[in-house]
Amino acid sequence: MSTTKDFIVEQLKEEISGFKAEVSEKSVGKVLKVSDGIALVSGLAEAMMSEILIFKTEKGEINGVALNLEESQVGAIVLGDFTVIKEGDEVVATKRILEVPVGENMVGRVVNPLGEPLDGKGKIETTKFYPVEKIAPGVITRASVKEPVQTGIKAIDAMIPIGRGQRELIIGDRQLGKTAIAVDTIINQKGQNMKCVYVAIGQKESKVANIVTKLTEAGAMDYTTVVLAGASTPASLIYIAPYAGCAMAEYFLDKGEDVLIIYDDLSKHAVSYREISLLLRRPPGREAYPGDVFYLHSRLLERACKLNKDFGGGSITALPIIETQAGDLSAYIPTNVISITDGQIFLEPDLFYKGNRPAVNAGLSVSRVGSSAQIKAMKKVAGKMRLEAAQYRELAAFAQFGSDLDSETKKKLERGQRLYEIFKQDQYQPLSVAKQVLTYFALINGLMDDVPVERVREFEAGLYKYADLNDTVLKLIAEKKELDEEIEAGLKKLIGDYKVTVDYLIK
Amino acid sequence: MKISVSQYASALFDLVAGKSEKEAKAIIKNLVFTLDKNHDLGKADAISASFAELWNKEHGEVDAKLSSAREFSAATREMVVDYLKNKTGAKKIILETEVNPEIIGGFVLRYGSKVLDGSLKNSLNSLKNKISN
Repeated sequence: MSTTKDFIVEQLKEEISGFKAEVSEKSVGKVLKVSDGIALVSGLAEAMMSEILIFKTEKGEINGVALNLEESQVGAIVLGDFTVIKEGDEVVATKRILEVPVGENMVGRVVNPLGEPLDGKGKIETTKFYPVEKIAPGVITRASVKEPVQTGIKAIDAMIPIGRGQRELIIGDRQLGKTAIAVDTIINQKGQNMKCVYVAIGQKESKVANIVTKLTEAGAMDYTTVVLAGASTPASLIYIAPYAGCAMAEYFLDKGEDVLIIYDDLSKHAVSYREISLLLRRPPGREAYPGDVFYLHSRLLERACKLNKDFGGGSITALPIIETQAGDLSAYIPTNVISITDGQIFLEPDLFYKGNRPAVNAGLSVSRVGSSAQIKAMKKVAGKMRLEAAQYRELAAFAQFGSDLDSETKKKLERGQRLYEIFKQDQYQPLSVAKQVLTYFALINGLMDDVPVERVREFEAGLYKYADLNDTVLKLIAEKKELDEEIEAGLKKLIGDYKVTVDYLIK
Repeated sequence: MKISVSQYASALFDLVAGKSEKEAKAIIKNLVFTLDKNHDLGKADAISASFAELWNKEHGEVDAKLSSAREFSAATREMVVDYLKNKTGAKKIILETEVNPEIIGGFVLRYGSKVLDGSLKNSLNSLKNKISN
């Protein structure tokens, strides 16, 4: 044991002898005013925008960030407990822009927006730091979106496909399963060469704890970082949370990897920014949001990108979430973010309460760039399927008025009902593309027309089990990614074989 | 229109430039009268601080404060003044000294909005931070 003691003493001596206190000139200011997470500081004439400031209080040092540079004072947000800061306390400028630790060791951890661990698993060893605010990659560095992100959700992968590097908004009222879509997508990224970052912005900590548990159970924490700014976190930390999460994602982007980042949700982010802006006395605009609330989100979402080969070929796919009030899409923040993103997944209460979960409204949801990223097999079945869905919606509204329908219309309606049954999917049950192709193939080729509507889901579940046992065709789809004659024949045979084993078909 | 602190200060500076003490007294009296009329007497402290800053800038003067654990000799003080003259390009340094046993050893030099902290207390603190990390 004595060797360890000697070793430590030796080390300590070495450290101290090698220690040189550097005397350097520092800019200092004084706190003029503190209020709700905001501090006004005099002096600091050379302070930079979003520079880290250190408040020297009686109870230790607290970090802050300069946000307002004025003639004789600096407005700063306090990243920490602002109640211990007193008027007259000294503030030191650090000449460093706000940055967060990044690296491989962040994966699998739950951290706060400053990159400090919140999961009780000890210190995170990182050597690299990335700035929280960064200008998005320029035109020269970008490539068009061409690889798919498989969400594992049938309705989305077929109708609203998302590509790597895309920004797809998930929008809807509270409690309609917005987060569920995001979490299922993370779970489905297992083995898909994707790192994930989940940024919880102003969320209940109990909800985040649930999500982390689910992700751990599903083995998804092996490639996921959770950035948590809970509902009890000061507005200043909530404000920087999405930027910090994006900085952590950019580390992997620069390494040429693909990253999926989820901002849950940006409505609360806008609210936090409004709080900070009003406290900093910036003039309020519509709904009391400051004038630059559009830039707040556009500069964040613009950092999602697909880089071209010369720049590593990495990508950041962003799934921002917006919570609407009573389905009001024309409120300020929803319209802003809709216009920034490359499409939206719109969740509707009517569908949700009817039992169509995920409650994706196929008519209002769009994906502006994703269809070029779909695999060929999916493209082939999804194209026909989208047409079926649109026709069904039109006819269903029309058919409510009368019962005398010709057989063609009846057939379309029947198939549409089956299609909407197929769109139903349980939470935490993401599906592989091959299986999705199998289902849609069965539907559009009329192979499910003789399955009663109320037993479609049972049929579907059985079909997957059967396909798992005879998985040569599924493997072929995953390999070739297209539907050639051989695969089509294989699929038909597989479905036909399975149908022999069930006894509820309509004769 | 509201008149800002810096506007008052620069007006005062322009008015008193090159005036005798007696004339300056009358000007200041007038200023106080104006402040009262504009309900701006509360700004008086800020105006005098702003005026001092302006005066220092125009006349090349720098206010500095030197804290040490023990009294420094006149020669050392002279060195500090020379250092500041070189550093800031000022013509005149107004050095205030203070004995503060709390900093243990070394010195803390403040001038303008800058601090040069060469105190033992500061070094010990950074050593503590380094070891605890």
